Amino acid sequence: MIEFRLDPNAGVASYLQIVQQVRQALLLGMLAEGDRLPTVKQVVGMVAINPNTVLKAYRELELEGLVVAKPGAGTFVTKSLAQPSITEHEPLRRELEAWLAKARAAGLTEAELDALMRTTVRDTADEEK
Amino acid sequence: MIWLTWRQFRFQATVTLTVLAAATIYIMTTGLKMHHAYAVDIAACPHPQIGCRFFLSFQNGYDAEQRLLEMLVLAAPALIGIFWGAPLIAAELERGSHRMLWNQSVTPNRWLAVKLAILALAALLTVGVLSLLLTWWSSPLDQRTDDRFGAMTFATRGITPLGYAAFAFALGTILGLLIRRTLPAMAVTLAVFIALQILFAAVLRPNLLPSTTATMPINATTLSQVQGIGTGSDPSGPVEIFGPGPAGAWILSATNVENSSGHEISGTQVGTCFNNQSLDLTGLGDCLAPYNLHIDYTYQPAGNYWPLQWLETGLYLAFAALLGGACFWRIRRHRD
Amino acid sequence: MTAIVEAHALGKRYGARPALTDCTLHIPPGHVVGLVGPNGAGKSTLLKLACGLLTPTTGSINVLGGRPGAGPVQIAKVGYLAQDAPIEPALSIADHLKLGAHLNPRWDKAFAAARIEGLGLDPKQKAGKLSGGQRAQLALTIATGKHPDLLLLDEPVASLDPIARRDFLKLLMDTVAEHGTSVILSSHLISDLERVCDYLVVLASAQVRLAGEVEELTAAHRWITCTRRDADTLPAGVEVVSAKHTDRQSTFMVRSATPVPSGDWVSEPVGLEDLVLTYMERDTPAGRVAPQNLESTR
Repeated sequence: MIEFRLDPNAGVASYLQIVQQVRQALLLGMLAEGDRLPTVKQVVGMVAINPNTVLKAYRELELEGLVVAKPGAGTFVTKSLAQPSITEHEPLRRELEAWLAKARAAGLTEAELDALMRTTVRDTADEEK
Repeated sequence: MIWLTWRQFRFQATVTLTVLAAATIYIMTTGLKMHHAYAVDIAACPHPQIGCRFFLSFQNGYDAEQRLLEMLVLAAPALIGIFWGAPLIAAELERGSHRMLWNQSVTPNRWLAVKLAILALAALLTVGVLSLLLTWWSSPLDQRTDDRFGAMTFATRGITPLGYAAFAFALGTILGLLIRRTLPAMAVTLAVFIALQILFAAVLRPNLLPSTTATMPINATTLSQVQGIGTGSDPSGPVEIFGPGPAGAWILSATNVENSSGHEISGTQVGTCFNNQSLDLTGLGDCLAPYNLHIDYTYQPAGNYWPLQWLETGLYLAFAALLGGACFWRIRRHRD
Repeated sequence: MTAIVEAHALGKRYGARPALTDCTLHIPPGHVVGLVGPNGAGKSTLLKLACGLLTPTTGSINVLGGRPGAGPVQIAKVGYLAQDAPIEPALSIADHLKLGAHLNPRWDKAFAAARIEGLGLDPKQKAGKLSGGQRAQLALTIATGKHPDLLLLDEPVASLDPIARRDFLKLLMDTVAEHGTSVILSSHLISDLERVCDYLVVLASAQVRLAGEVEELTAAHRWITCTRRDADTLPAGVEVVSAKHTDRQSTFMVRSATPVPSGDWVSEPVGLEDLVLTYMERDTPAGRVAPQNLESTR
């Protein structure tokens, strides 16, 4: 089941954070069509948050057409946002894992890996433009 | 609410019952022995109405124990006031638990009413039992000494202890409510209770009913009924009558022996009578009669004993009710 | 629907000292209300007036349509958790539940027992031996066991460590989710308020400085940053709540019913913490108020 996290310092309203996290889960394929979102009580058990906030987030998602609320049953995902491209590119993923293994063996820290990847993504994106 | 009262009072109840049980056992065993010994001695005494020689030593033998038991009965109301009354509300206020209790669907008034009723009843029962036991235990001694109006005796027999218990409990409770801290409330309760006891014994009790004033002329008849006459250590000093007045009366005040013009006489003035060792009280009376002496005295007759008991108990109960009512009034206006 | 709290010119003095003055509130039901303010602002006083432990000196207060503390029915509707979570130290946890059952006609034995078990507490343990967090949880269970329509909590998490704090709020929100209980919760921890409260009441110096739904308040307030200028040069219909000037720059917090029109200024949203602090520090006829003892996780 999807886990929610609230960051009070994010400068983003609590309900929006919930909305974003549901969208992200859909994107990453952690939630698929027909899955049930955690109940209000379940969310409250994960993070101490006002139940109304959860309801608001779910309503927002419903307005966006991503979920539908079925009274008595729960709130269910109607649309999947997972890009098939992400799940289809297994070979690319394996190549990336191999490269990461090499980079780690070479002694790069996580932060250095992260920085290296980000700058390279950006630089190559600029080049392609 | 009854369950809660019992649950919070469990400790005090256990202590009280233990003490009560111990006291009862002690009183019953020593009492039965004493009553038996008394019955034996009385049977051996030829003229009980006139006097029995054994009595003084009998009394001396039990004097200390009687005092101990009287202290117990006297202390009981004070202890109830201190340990049941003072902490009743003060302890809750001190630790703030009243804020939890008075939010449990029961109004503070009802909370107080149940607690007061149950504990007041327990107080009356406890002190009532003690007083009853002491009165029974002491009966042979009391019959002989006829000192019912004495400060210790009056306060520890009959129904007065009940009034004291109710009052002390109510006093502790209202002081706890006003002072809001247990230990200071206990101290003030004790102080006020003792003060009122002294006030009653010294000033109020003699005047609860109108007293009677009388003059007793000194002659053979009157002198034969008193306990004694004398000057004390100084033979030239004033002359006193010991134990004047009707039987069982409570002598509030008495003058020294005076002559017909109202002046005190001295022992030397009646030296001829006093120095005659062969005279008994009646003979002394005959000797003194020509001098036209008298004493004036104020007293409460023996028959006023129970009316005074009822009056004093009634007053204490009235104070208790007043203080109890004050608790409700105060809680209504100021709950936090 | 009856407002959960309705106060008109409510005031309370202790002798010469005013604890609350001229307080007017209409708090709608179905909210978790955050009551925030520095020490001595009047939060505890307001909560005690609402549950009937105190009586007003001036004005009136109605809670759930009735007079606070007026009788067993009214008391049953309102749960109150005082500061420092008082309990009876000599009684065990099980005794406390029995107490609740005996003294409350609407007591839910199963619910209370389940709560205690869920918290991992031993019913035989004496309440006086519990940790701060456990006491708070026990006290919350006692207050909610009778299923009140309104819960009043006086700084319930102020002395709890972060884990205990989080657990307490989770339990509280669970009660709200399950039973739709309205809650008024006082605190000076603004970050906790943001998470759980959707209605805000700001108290300072015995007065209500701000009251309203959090969403509406945050939508209606904006930071305006611009070159140094006077407040009256700002567009009409915009109420200036605070103004700060340097020699080159002015920063205003404004309140406006309609969106602030664009102009030669930068308009940014106002966070809840800034909103609360600004209203608390604001100059009032009574004088400047500086916030004390305010904690923030920022």
